Amino acid sequence: MSEPRGRILLVEDTPTQAEVAKALLVDLGHEVRHAETGTRGLAMALDWLPDAILVDLQLPDFSGFELMRKLRAEGSEAACIVITANASVNTAVEAMREGAMDFIVKPYGRARLKVTLDNALEKRALKAELTAVKQQLNRGRFFGFVGGSPAMQAVYRTIESVAPSRANVFVTGESGTGKELVADAIHKASPRARGPFVALNCAAIPRDLLESEIFGHVKGAFTGATDNRAGAAKQAEGGTFFLDEIGEMPLEMQVKLLRFLQTGSFQPVGAARPEKADVRIVSATNRDPLAEVEAGRFREDLYYRLYVVPIELPPLRERGDDVLVIARHFLAQFSKEEGRRFRGFSREAEAAVIAYPWPGNVRQLQNAMRNVVVLHDADMVEVAMLPPMLLRGARPVGSVSSTPAPNPVAAPREAPPQAVHWEPQALPASPSPPPAPSPPAIEPLAAMEKRMILAALDQTGQDVPRAAALLEVNPSTIYRKLAAWRAAH
Amino acid sequence: MSALDPDIAGQLAEDLPPAVFRRIIATFEVDLARLTAELEVCAATGDKAGYLRAAHSLVGTAAAVGAKRLEFEARLAMNPAQSELPTSLLPRLSAESRAALAALHNLTKA
Repeated sequence: MSEPRGRILLVEDTPTQAEVAKALLVDLGHEVRHAETGTRGLAMALDWLPDAILVDLQLPDFSGFELMRKLRAEGSEAACIVITANASVNTAVEAMREGAMDFIVKPYGRARLKVTLDNALEKRALKAELTAVKQQLNRGRFFGFVGGSPAMQAVYRTIESVAPSRANVFVTGESGTGKELVADAIHKASPRARGPFVALNCAAIPRDLLESEIFGHVKGAFTGATDNRAGAAKQAEGGTFFLDEIGEMPLEMQVKLLRFLQTGSFQPVGAARPEKADVRIVSATNRDPLAEVEAGRFREDLYYRLYVVPIELPPLRERGDDVLVIARHFLAQFSKEEGRRFRGFSREAEAAVIAYPWPGNVRQLQNAMRNVVVLHDADMVEVAMLPPMLLRGARPVGSVSSTPAPNPVAAPREAPPQAVHWEPQALPASPSPPPAPSPPAIEPLAAMEKRMILAALDQTGQDVPRAAALLEVNPSTIYRKLAAWRAAH
Repeated sequence: MSALDPDIAGQLAEDLPPAVFRRIIATFEVDLARLTAELEVCAATGDKAGYLRAAHSLVGTAAAVGAKRLEFEARLAMNPAQSELPTSLLPRLSAESRAALAALHNLTKA
């Protein structure tokens, strides 16, 4: 038996008319349900989600027009066709105005009903298709992402395409562009969504602990291993294992990861036997992976194992209007969290947000919006409330400023980057040249170190690997320092 | 003039399986009995609104099966401007109901 052509709800209170309509609809190959009142019709429409609803205008509880209004208010997308005994133009106009796709005058025969329904169902299908295509082309949100720029639409489509497969995915993009969000979206859109999502930042873990963190260890494997401990690979069993900053992984660890990718098995530190884990690997780096391979810092065979489906996240400066969309999103979110009144940006503030290149990408924008919301309260974000670097038309990290930095701490070495403190300052209408640098005050080395690290983090939008690069230290040094300062608190 | 419109009733009989067509006639018969009884009660009690409502339903019911003469009489009854009394209209309605039913049954035998 062939599939029913459409799901048709008939809302008709007169038994003979309902019987005739049902018989004709079934004869035309449709699946039919029948309601005798408007209330019942509304409930069935919302529950059963028919393709089309044939609505009698005179119902015992309320009119067919009223039913269509209620359906529209509830978001029903069914094509409504009014059945009326009154063939007047007024009735037709009113039916269309109330959202009917067509109307049919009683009595009607099989042929008339067929033409009317076929037209309505075709129109509805085209409308649904158009809506789906539009949604796909203009998605303003996708899992954790905000923004509908063409560059991000391409990313969304790739995520959707790759998610159902088992293929390993390699995400590249500048820091703060949302690489972990990609991994999370792939996981959530995949058949593994019910399994765990385990993320591990290779740069955040001291190299001698990385193997144990990924593959686990057995009791007594090393000093302090007081118990058996499952590693991240095992914890991700049946789910997705996200290896962030994989470019920071030491070469000797890369060999072990390669073996795991090839065989699906690994050996916990100190264990006698290998174990198996079924995981899907998503890895990410903010470096150029091929350049790392060429420089000998990343194994070529591992690169090809991981780089099955590449996803490159565009930097925020290449995402057009997304900058403002994301800024508004964070402004609304943080205003709600902090109990502030902000509803939007002044035109000047918008222009400043758009003009700034956002070297720290979305993470930096997020921090900037948090800064504005925490330090101010008003209806609109004015330009003076924005972090000073936006107002100075600051250049991205790595660019050389032609003026000396006003704060010696913010300009640690060589080419001084922008000032890093975001406290609002009362700026003159036309900025005057900054004062000449004064010799730095002498202070304890530890305090100086802390200030430098925090300054570098501020400068890079809290991007540890990038801050580490600026300071010419390993990222794990910064993580360790941060942990120590938190512990000291 | 025939009690039935062949474009409606004849087409139904032709298009639908006999069992389905017979079920429609059975439903029509029940509707006729209910609506004519309602009309009589409303006429007897002076319930004009109920009378017009029942007449309206009868129009739709008759039209659905192509009972055109019955539909015509029912339209007279549902017209609030018409002056004919129920005492003269209702017997004609009953007669047309019986004629329509008989004609429909005849179609099942054809």
